[in-house]
Amino acid sequence: MSFLGGAECSTAGNPLSQFTKHVHDDKSLQRDRLVGRGPGGLQESMRGQAMGGPQDNMMNEFLQQPTHLSQGPGPASPFAMEHMRRELERAQHSESSAWATEFDPGVEGPAQMDPGMQAGPAGFGPAEFAKYLQMNPTARTASPTVASQPSMMGYQRPMGYGMGMGGMGMGMGMGMMAQPYAPQNFQQPMQQQEGKGKGRMVELDDKDWEAQFAQLEKTDQQKDLDALDAEANARIEAELNEMDRSVLSNSDEFGDFESIWKGIQAETDRARQLADDDSFLDAMHMGEGDRWEGFDGLNTHSARDPLVDEYLFEEENLFKDLSNPFEEGMRIMEEGGNLSLAALAFEAAVQKDPQHVAAWTKLGAAQAQNEKETPAIRALEQALKLDPANLEAMMGLAVSYTNEGYDSTAYRTLERWVATKYPSLIKEPLSSDAEMGFTDRHILHTKVTDLFIQAAQLSPSGEQMDPDVQVGLGVLFYGAEEYDKAVDCFGAALASTESGVTNQSSQIHLLWNRLGATLANSGRSEEAIDAYERALDLRPNFVRARYNLGVSCINIGCFEQAAQHLLDALSMHKVVEREGREKARQVVGDGVSEAQLDNMIHQNQSTNLYDTLRRVFSQMGRRDLADRVGPGMDAESFRGEFGVQ
Amino acid sequence: MSLKIDSFPSSAAFDAIAASLSASDADRKEAIKKGNGIYTFALKNGAGETASWYLDLKETGTVGKGEAPEGKKPTVTLVLSDKDFQSLIAGKANAQKLFMSGKLKVRGDVMKATKVEPLLKKAQGGAKL
Repeated sequence: MSFLGGAECSTAGNPLSQFTKHVHDDKSLQRDRLVGRGPGGLQESMRGQAMGGPQDNMMNEFLQQPTHLSQGPGPASPFAMEHMRRELERAQHSESSAWATEFDPGVEGPAQMDPGMQAGPAGFGPAEFAKYLQMNPTARTASPTVASQPSMMGYQRPMGYGMGMGGMGMGMGMGMMAQPYAPQNFQQPMQQQEGKGKGRMVELDDKDWEAQFAQLEKTDQQKDLDALDAEANARIEAELNEMDRSVLSNSDEFGDFESIWKGIQAETDRARQLADDDSFLDAMHMGEGDRWEGFDGLNTHSARDPLVDEYLFEEENLFKDLSNPFEEGMRIMEEGGNLSLAALAFEAAVQKDPQHVAAWTKLGAAQAQNEKETPAIRALEQALKLDPANLEAMMGLAVSYTNEGYDSTAYRTLERWVATKYPSLIKEPLSSDAEMGFTDRHILHTKVTDLFIQAAQLSPSGEQMDPDVQVGLGVLFYGAEEYDKAVDCFGAALASTESGVTNQSSQIHLLWNRLGATLANSGRSEEAIDAYERALDLRPNFVRARYNLGVSCINIGCFEQAAQHLLDALSMHKVVEREGREKARQVVGDGVSEAQLDNMIHQNQSTNLYDTLRRVFSQMGRRDLADRVGPGMDAESFRGEFGVQ
Repeated sequence: MSLKIDSFPSSAAFDAIAASLSASDADRKEAIKKGNGIYTFALKNGAGETASWYLDLKETGTVGKGEAPEGKKPTVTLVLSDKDFQSLIAGKANAQKLFMSGKLKVRGDVMKATKVEPLLKKAQGGAKL
């Protein structure tokens, strides 16, 4: 690498000026070679173009060019060898320009060097140089990026090809002019790479050019070089100034660029926001701004506790006069009798003795099974108010809240349940009733789930696991839409031989229904129907299971059966109305109109059943039937109105 | 006046949504209040055909074929396959996951699109524990 050291130590430390000398020197070599060369071949044609006319002038021009270029970019230091070497090491990403391309091929070896120099004018004749001077800086600056790929190739290939590529790079660069981007900061690489092209050239030729460089160094003292340099400096200066000006005057293009950039930023922001939205859909609810009002969806009330009103009693109650309505209610429940009647019995019981916790609890249970969620919640809350440690009421309440979409309330209720039943597990204070957002709710869910899992681990063998814990866990998973796990939990509770509140014989039907509902909500309607039927085998009057069965029939498209089940469910409600009506007639006498009687027993109606039935009829295309659905309708009158397969 | 198109099995869901909207005045008003926009579903079936349905939750609370009610524009358009829509309706898929995996594309107001899922759930009719 003697030439390298030589270059650094030489009087003219700037290798670019050496390059000029080198080129200058080459001329003679070229001539010798080219004269001897036969016609044909790319190089030849290149030469032909270039050398055709005012050969000497062109040659001179050409010889000046490298000087212009090399001297151009300000201080010599950026072009010191070391700098270039570093650049070259990074040159993989290099914006090696068309210039580089043009010179690179020549570097391949001395044999090709000559034609390379010869070809230089062809690819970069004075005309082109003039063009270059006039060229919009954006175009010039664009060219490196475009040309980089071809130029790397050109570097490996015979010079002619490289030339072509270089030319192409230029052309493309010019094409790029039209593009609104190509920001100003390309200017810097551009300047450097002017040097770099040469830098590479100097370096790449190391093996074969040592001799030539030695020769070059001898011609260092050439005098006319100074003049050339001065001229080149002036021109480059002017050109750079022009470049600066045109960049400034490019402001409209730049404005375009800026607006694009802003657009990109806006888009990115939007995408980011979108990702946030999606991963924290519910968290939006915490935004509390007007925009998020009611964001939570149609039927979820994740954060707030519901407002629970006092339980509304039926005004007419045929059990009012019984001496022990609670026992009557229990009897009806045990026998699987009509749930509305049972509810009335329990109502009578709590009206007699408002402190009767068991009656409140059973009232809630009866109303829940009767597909009357709101009265159920009211009754169960009342029971808990009287006895904060009532496990059965808590479990029922958790289920009801889950059904109604009050997730966090349900989780808190389950937490209280586990704290009551397994106080040893509670190591930190229970969650407060404060409103909570998505994250808090998720944390609460995790915490309560952990508690239940710990409770389940208290009895290591699955056989003796507390089935109530399984049910609670099932409700938790159901609330978090982890239906597969919920199915496992309810299944385990059903299989458990241990006795708990939830799997005593009078409650098994509830478990089957819960299993069914979980299956249905995870899209397994067919399996769900099996489970519902097990529940209905145990309790034919289980209105909720019948309602669920109807829903599953809708979901698999069996509308007739769905309507049938829903009508069955409604007529179970009607039984009470009929009986109540008889009773009312006896009490009030015959002077009461039918309409007044209708209004008597509607405190705790289930709009759910009516709505669902209306849906079925409209999906069957029977709007006429759908319009007839509503309070006071006669379920029996619909029978036979539609075909049942 | 069924909204179903036989080559799009999942389109039966639009009948279900229409039915659930017409079944209860309270539900419809609630849906309009919460939805407040025109939701368009552009479905693509296995044969590569596409078809659109809209949910007008801006004014009427109705469902219909096509991109939007006459003279109106969709607030948001959800583009997905018939199969994915089927599983979305059945509760087997989750809109967020479909969106994340690129199976559901949203044009227009993304914020509105997030309100669609509860609406679809409503149409499904939830079973009770």
